[in-house]
Amino acid sequence: MLGSIPSAASRFLRARISVFFLPIIGLLALLGLAGCGGSDSSAGSSTPAANGGQLSAMAQIGEKIFHDPSLSGNGQMSCATCHDAQRAFAQANPEAVAFGGPALDQAGLRNTPSLKYLSETPAFFFDGEGTPTGGFNRDGRANSLAEQAIRPFLTAFEMDNASAEEVVNKLRNASYAAEFRKLFGEQVFNDTDQAFLDARLALQAYQREDTDFYPFTSKYDYFLSGKAQLSDQELRGLALFNNPQKGNCAGCHPSGRREGGKPPLFTDFTYDNLGVPRNTTIDANNDPDYFDLGLCGPPRLDLADRSDLCGAFKVPTLRNIALTAPYFHNGKFETLQEVVRFYVRRDTNPEEWYPIGTNGLPDKFNDLPDQYKGNVNVTEVPYNRHEGDAPALSANEIDDVVAFLNTLTDGYQP
Amino acid sequence: MSCVSSERSALSRLRTSFAVLAVLSATATPSLAAAATQAELEAKVQSLAEQLAALQAELAQMKAQQSANSSSAPASAPAVTSATAVPSSGSASPLSFFGYGELNYSQPRDNTADTTADLARFVLGVGYRFDDRTRLVSEVELEHAVSSSEDPGEVEVEQAYIEHQLTNSIFAKAGLFLIPTGLLNENHEPTRYYGVFRNFVETAIIPTTWREGGLAIQGNSEIGLRWDAGVSTGFDLSKWDATATEGLESPLGSIHQELALAHGKDLSVFGALNYTGVPGLRVGASVFTGGASQGQQGFDGAHITLWEAHTRWTPGAFDLSGLYAHGHISNTQVINTALVGNPTLIPENFFGWYLQGAYRLFDHGRYNFSPFVRYERFNTAADYAALPAGLTPDTLADQKVWTTGFNLGFAPGVVLKADYQWFRDSALSDRFDLGIGYQF
Repeated sequence: MLGSIPSAASRFLRARISVFFLPIIGLLALLGLAGCGGSDSSAGSSTPAANGGQLSAMAQIGEKIFHDPSLSGNGQMSCATCHDAQRAFAQANPEAVAFGGPALDQAGLRNTPSLKYLSETPAFFFDGEGTPTGGFNRDGRANSLAEQAIRPFLTAFEMDNASAEEVVNKLRNASYAAEFRKLFGEQVFNDTDQAFLDARLALQAYQREDTDFYPFTSKYDYFLSGKAQLSDQELRGLALFNNPQKGNCAGCHPSGRREGGKPPLFTDFTYDNLGVPRNTTIDANNDPDYFDLGLCGPPRLDLADRSDLCGAFKVPTLRNIALTAPYFHNGKFETLQEVVRFYVRRDTNPEEWYPIGTNGLPDKFNDLPDQYKGNVNVTEVPYNRHEGDAPALSANEIDDVVAFLNTLTDGYQP
Repeated sequence: MSCVSSERSALSRLRTSFAVLAVLSATATPSLAAAATQAELEAKVQSLAEQLAALQAELAQMKAQQSANSSSAPASAPAVTSATAVPSSGSASPLSFFGYGELNYSQPRDNTADTTADLARFVLGVGYRFDDRTRLVSEVELEHAVSSSEDPGEVEVEQAYIEHQLTNSIFAKAGLFLIPTGLLNENHEPTRYYGVFRNFVETAIIPTTWREGGLAIQGNSEIGLRWDAGVSTGFDLSKWDATATEGLESPLGSIHQELALAHGKDLSVFGALNYTGVPGLRVGASVFTGGASQGQQGFDGAHITLWEAHTRWTPGAFDLSGLYAHGHISNTQVINTALVGNPTLIPENFFGWYLQGAYRLFDHGRYNFSPFVRYERFNTAADYAALPAGLTPDTLADQKVWTTGFNLGFAPGVVLKADYQWFRDSALSDRFDLGIGYQF
């Protein structure tokens, strides 16, 4: 019961108040309350703070390692030699692949990918539907940035160190060796494996902490945060990019904000088999029996028996894509125009992309052995076409999509 | 009405018995013990206890009879009821169990391969009365029979709130509760509506069963006016999935939060008025409005308002009702511009209305039979804000649905239903539906 028993008069009065005034009082009070938490007027920002934040001691050492050519076999090649900051930390030279080794003249096997926007890449796994997802390198065989860094240090046609011990010995003599010891322990160089791991963890820390690797300062980022407008052509390009019946690019390169309003990374971290034409400018391809099969090898060993995955390569971010030519794992195409044309005309006009075989027909998917050509994605838009069909995008629409892709370059000034 | 009068009479007698018992207990002090022997007192108590038991049985019988009379058709107006039928304060135990369920069979005319049979809802509720003014109402629902990562079912808490009676006519509640809107949301049990499935307007436009977490007050005046007001969690527009079709099926149903780690930066307010002062008539309206950006980047300025008006009139054996609902989402131009090209952009306006008529053709004992017909017209994307570069999506055509069938009651709280639905300007195929529902 509520306190003392009210008199008949007070009960009557209370009843009248309840009927006529409480609804009004209640609504006013509630409207006032809601006003406190009403619509969000803060602009918000999907753009992280500009670079300049203090790096941790480990990341600072990582930055020095990243730029230190003394850690290579010939003392002339660092990570930065191939990963050019001016090109979104992608390949510096315009050829299909980078060159390294003792005389910096040995061709690599794959185009050097951008190191930007990798810090949120998950370790490799198969999702609930069996879709390969995540991982570093174009075949996902490294599970972290630190693991990924093993390969360039020790590959003969890259930095050309014979062993981890050789790398550590060079680290011991580096100008920042004292800082390295201070951070990881005075005896760190006595344990080769630990020192090599610490060096790679430092590289990983640098790539994770330095916002140069994830500035989110493209025109598209400012557009998403309401600080820039896309031109009509760029906007049409975005619509074609998103449209599942047209470009369908967003099917693998999501363009919308992620959970929690985080800006998009333009990759779903999955793999796809596009049947990219063979690039005969790559030395390794002079051997007709050599095929780069992505997930199932040859560099990656653990999925060699998954023949269904042969020919699949990681879906890369499209951020800064205008800076990272040539394109695809084998650097086959030199312009974005070519790339988008390939996507929409690969199946409608295969003669534009593949050499004509002895039978007079285009040798489709000629960078795959015959037994793996069936793995190529021919079911999803825009690949679900046949010769004689209209391409999913017209010439003007291809221009629109390319205009949109050019809005993904960091460093835009709104 | 005679049944109600009898029930009141029984209640009055029950209260009298309690009063006598209380007085007897109070006077049975040692000082008065000499006036009556222990045996006499015990005999009187026994006699009163027997009378009380008889009255309880009589009351229970009358309630059952009343329930049977209305088992196949939605409760007659005045249909302004509390969200869940929990036992009155006269129940012997403060703890109560209740529930409802519905099983459906639906066969599309054009593609019988899509025929489905479904235990659509299985709901168990627990009520607990802490004292004569404060109670708990809770419901747990299992949809589609099996819930796991590989099955279509869902387990969800549909209601969980504390209600406290402030005065004889004013109640306050806090927790997860149903929003007082429309005819169906608070009366969504299968015995309370016509047709195997809930009507489209009150699922596609009003996202029944729609609940939010918050605070609310409810009052009932002597002139037959129920009023509701509250502040609660609201919608989260950042949940909108432009790549999926859920937003086209139910714009608000795709972005409600159901108090599942709900974003709570933007609260909403709601209010409802329902007048039932004329016997057999209910007229009401409600509004729910609030921010929907929830502080999420890219959704600044988003605000959602849903309002509706409804009426229900039950003259004699007729049961006539109608409802109009309209939803509006603001600032969609800016938000949609970033989503262009996706299949499902955010509509600026959506609406729906229906008219329904039913007639209790047969009503004998536990059996009753009520055919009905309903016409609905609704549009989940009636209008989009204009976008640049000619990218404004085409609006949808109004969807029109005729539904006709019957409710057959054959036990208190149990109903068998059958209907046929004709869809016009809709991708859905005409279909035959059969269902059984219960509530206890």
